[in-house]
Amino acid sequence: MISLIFTLKSTPALKLDCSRLTPNGLAGLTMPQVSNLALTNNKTSPKVVDIFDISGSVSENIVFKNSNTQLHFIGHKMKHGQITIEGDCGDFLGANMQGGTILCNGNAGDRVGDQMRRGLILIDGDAGDYLASRMIAGTIGVCGSVGKLTGFAMKRGTILLNHQPDLHASFHATMQDCGTHNLPFLAILFKSFQALPSKFSTLENQRVQRFAGDLACNGNGEILVLQP
Amino acid sequence: MNINGITIDDTFAEAFNMRATRVVITGLNLKWAYHAANAMTGFATSVIGCGVEADIERELNADETPDGRLGVSVLMFATGSKVLMQQLETRMGQCILTCPSVAAFAGIEHREGLEIDQINLGAHLRYFGDGFQTSKLIAAKRYWRIPVMDGEFLVQESTGMVRAIGGGNFLILATSQESALNASETAIEVMKKVPNVIMPFPGGVVRSGSKVGSKYPNMFASTNDAFCPTLKGLTKTELDDDIESVLEIVIDGLTFDDVAKAMKVGIEAICALGVASGVQRISAGNYGGKLGPHHFKLHEVLKK
Repeated sequence: MISLIFTLKSTPALKLDCSRLTPNGLAGLTMPQVSNLALTNNKTSPKVVDIFDISGSVSENIVFKNSNTQLHFIGHKMKHGQITIEGDCGDFLGANMQGGTILCNGNAGDRVGDQMRRGLILIDGDAGDYLASRMIAGTIGVCGSVGKLTGFAMKRGTILLNHQPDLHASFHATMQDCGTHNLPFLAILFKSFQALPSKFSTLENQRVQRFAGDLACNGNGEILVLQP
Repeated sequence: MNINGITIDDTFAEAFNMRATRVVITGLNLKWAYHAANAMTGFATSVIGCGVEADIERELNADETPDGRLGVSVLMFATGSKVLMQQLETRMGQCILTCPSVAAFAGIEHREGLEIDQINLGAHLRYFGDGFQTSKLIAAKRYWRIPVMDGEFLVQESTGMVRAIGGGNFLILATSQESALNASETAIEVMKKVPNVIMPFPGGVVRSGSKVGSKYPNMFASTNDAFCPTLKGLTKTELDDDIESVLEIVIDGLTFDDVAKAMKVGIEAICALGVASGVQRISAGNYGGKLGPHHFKLHEVLKK
C-alpha cells in the first residue's frame, strides 16, 4: 500500500496545526508543494519539511511516525482515506471530520472528534477530556481511559469504550444509562475493524452498556461501554 | 431427442424480462431466519396475483453473512421495478421487521456484467423507530438500527435490483400423478442447488399451467387445456393416450444462463430416473414465441 509518511524529526517547541495534512487536503499536490506547506497561519510558520522527514508519495494513506502531543488538528475536515498515527497526538484529532479512518496507536488529547460528522477514529491508548464533544455523527473507539465530559453536547454518533470509565467524572448528567445489551450492529462494526492495525481488530464481544446522550442535544448519540 | 426412454420434445420455454432483487436474512439461529424468509416469500408464487414471485434461494453459512450469523437468501422477481419496490417494502415491514432476532441485508451489491440499481430495503422502515432510530455507515454501507421490543432490528438501507428473467419452464408428462410428482421432487432437489434461481410455486411445482386468454372476457389466462389429461377427447390435446398427469416447473433466474442451467440439471435428474419411473415426455410451455423475448430450446439447453 502506497503511503505518505511524515516522520517527526524532534519534539517541536510549539504546538503545530496539522490540519492540512489529510488525504483530501493534499490531493493534487506535488511532493515539493507538500514539503512547503505551512503548519500554522503566521509569518514564521514552520514548513512541513522543517518538522517532518517526508517519504512515500501523496496517496489516500497518511502515516505520522514518531508522533507526539504537539501535533494538533490531525485529520481536521478529513473526507476520505486513512491516517495512521504511530505514537501520541495532540488535541482536536479528527475535528470536523467528514469521512475516512483515523487510527492512533498511542494516546490522544482533548476534544477528539469535535463536531465530527462522519468517519471512524480508533485510539488504542487513552483519550483526553471532551471526547466527541459536539459530535454530529460517526464512530469513535477508545481502548484506554477517557477524560472528563465524554460526549458533551454530542447529537448523534457512537463512542465505543473498551475500558470502564469513572461514570461521575467522565459522563455529564445528561448521558443516560439505557442498560446492558447485545447490539447486533456491533458484529458488522467489529468485522470492519478486523483488517485494521488496531487493538479493536480483535473485538468480538457484542455486549455493551449503552448510555444515550447528550440529552441536552436530542440524545441520539450513544456511548457503548464494552462489557467483560 | 430421447434420454433413457424419455422423449424430449423439440420445443422451447418462453420467458420474460423481469426485475429481481436478493435479500440476505439472518437470525439468532436458522429456525428464525427461515420463519422470516418463509413469511416474506409466502403468497409469492406468481406475479399474476401476488405481485412478485419469491422464494428462498439457499441457506447461508455464518461466514457468508454480513453479521456472521446463519441465514438464508431470498430472491424476489417482479414484472417491473415499481411493483418490486412496493412488494419488497411491504414484505420487509410485515415479515422481517416483525420477526424476532432477524436482520436483513443487501443480497446484490456488486456483480460483474450486471446493471444494478439501488432500491430501498430499510430506508423507509426506519421511520418505525419514531425518532429513536439511528444509522451507522460501516465500510461505505449504511445500516439502520431500529429499536424494537426484542432489542434492535438491524437492516441495511438499500439493496440491488437487477434485470432478470422469469418464466423459464419445463413440463413433466407422466403416466400417473404420483409418477409426475415423484419426478418433480427429484428435479427440484437438484435445481435448488443451482445459485441465482428460484422455483416459486408450492414445492417448486405447478399443476395449473395456463394459456393466454379465456372464453370468459374478464380472464386473461385460463387452464392450459391442451395439457389437461381429462380433456384429451374434448380439446386439441398435446398428450398421448398413456399420459395421465402433467406438472410444470417454473424457473426465475438472474440471467439466461442461470435459468438454462437449472432447467438442464432438472431435466437430467428426471431422465436419470428412466422411463420406468412413469415419465414419458418432457415438454415446455410457450406462447408461440410471440410474447416472451427469451426462448429456452430444450434440446439446446440439454446440450450445454
